Amino acid sequence: MKSNFFIGIILILFFQLGLAQEKKDSLVLRLNLKFRTETLERNKEYVSESKDTLEIETFRFYISTIKLQYSDKTTFSESNSYHLIDIENPNSLRIPIAKTTDKTISKITFSIGVDSLASVSGAMSGDLDPTKGMYWAWQSGFINMKIEGKSSSCKTRKNTFQFHIGGYMKPNYAIRNIELKPINSNFEVIVDVAELFKSIKLAENNSIMIPGSKAMELADKATKMFGIYSKEN
Amino acid sequence: MKVPFKYLFVLGSMVLFLMAFTLLKPTPLYLEIPKGWPKPHYDFSKNPLTEEGFQLGRTLFYDPILSRDNTISCASCHLQATGFTHVDHELSHGIDGKIGTRNSMTLMNLAWSKSFMWDGGVNHLDVQALNPITSPDEMDETLANVVSKLQKSEKYQALFLAAFDDANITGQRVLKALSQFELMLISSNSKYDKVLRKEAVFTDQEQNGYKLFKTNCASCHNEPLFTSEKFERNGLPLVTTLNDIGRQKITENSKEYMLFKVPTLRNIQFTFPYMHDGRFKKLTEVIKHYNSLGNDKNLPKQLQKPMHLSDFERVDLVAFLHTLTDTAFLFDKRFSFPRE
Repeated sequence: MKSNFFIGIILILFFQLGLAQEKKDSLVLRLNLKFRTETLERNKEYVSESKDTLEIETFRFYISTIKLQYSDKTTFSESNSYHLIDIENPNSLRIPIAKTTDKTISKITFSIGVDSLASVSGAMSGDLDPTKGMYWAWQSGFINMKIEGKSSSCKTRKNTFQFHIGGYMKPNYAIRNIELKPINSNFEVIVDVAELFKSIKLAENNSIMIPGSKAMELADKATKMFGIYSKEN
Repeated sequence: MKVPFKYLFVLGSMVLFLMAFTLLKPTPLYLEIPKGWPKPHYDFSKNPLTEEGFQLGRTLFYDPILSRDNTISCASCHLQATGFTHVDHELSHGIDGKIGTRNSMTLMNLAWSKSFMWDGGVNHLDVQALNPITSPDEMDETLANVVSKLQKSEKYQALFLAAFDDANITGQRVLKALSQFELMLISSNSKYDKVLRKEAVFTDQEQNGYKLFKTNCASCHNEPLFTSEKFERNGLPLVTTLNDIGRQKITENSKEYMLFKVPTLRNIQFTFPYMHDGRFKKLTEVIKHYNSLGNDKNLPKQLQKPMHLSDFERVDLVAFLHTLTDTAFLFDKRFSFPRE
């Protein structure tokens, strides 16, 4: 009886040790939301290259199907890989993905948005739960990216602009793939919103709420925001 | 004497333990597929039916907690006695007396549905409920807020625990529970079904109506579900005050201008008014509409040949349509308001 108890304790300790180990060892994909060189903040005024003065209120998007390729050509694919990135939730900017190894990462790929299979599979859980406000009601499908804010250039009610980019049916499948190559393992993914607003004139283009050619165009432009920054060791 | 008593105690507590265990597990429910019906479209492996899940869905279906001001439930526009639709209103009304743009659809045999809504914009039963919950004219609520209201309710904490084996209330579970209730709404006991099962016989009038139905209607209203699940243009002129272009709004394809989903005809006797905007109050008006069509290239080929039904034939056709009434379904206590 006594030895059983002892074994139990050892098992529990061992298990906890294992968990702690895993947490410490996992590779974290860090995202840095920016407006040019500054860290992007909500409700702060920025001026875009198209001369629009703008504030960001909502900025949320999905990152999915994260894959790592190591210098020895082996790969790691995250299972059930769906992450909702939200400027209002700092935790979402850190994605724990894999156990670190000594191998060097040569390439990292992921998609912006949610694939068509998940879009036709009914009510999902976790980051895909429809309570997250990233699922369309009147027309099924995920909103891949939501950017909302204000600009004096928008002659809309309360000067707002709203971009809800999505669509899972061809020819308007709005998911986009990103491929980044870090120089060393000390890197972070940069998401520079200025790159998107560079190519938008908010006076003319300030509301996209449905799948279609306009959403496809904006999805292409959104890929320009993604880059990688490797700190020198 | 001492020993048997001790054993009895051990045995008794084991039995009690096992009973408690089985009581905690949700009881599986099995959907009975009526004879001769196709395989359901819904993937039950992703949402296994249980008695507790069904009862939770039923409670949610009848609870106005789903709406912003706790006034509108699903049943407000989907009444059981009229085939789970909003009877007597051309366009269904919701929160603050606001009026929508379409006549609410019936809810039955949904496990066989491939798309939902009159324009088919919804691709899965689970996510259909997001529409009425978030529509400003219907419940004007968010799913996130519904979840937070339910999390505060002891009644729902217990119901979710029973249905899902843990008390976690999520948006996914709310929607899947609603699906479980809706999936069980099977109507397959009308006189028509009984005639096919050789448990009843049609009158001469009904029999003639059935013959007319098979020649003139069944190519879109396919038996036994009485819908092809397709979208068709049926010759209705556009109502300019609503400007409802139907399927085209979803696909942005001009070829799908004014296409609407072919609805089931089961229980049609009680699901008036008819068409996506409820423009016809009576079945005779619907049949007159189809009888007046023909020789129009904009119509689908099924409607291009005029029907030319006589007055008597139209009466017979209505008599047949009345055999699709399933009173056992319309008054099934398992689907009614859950009284505690």
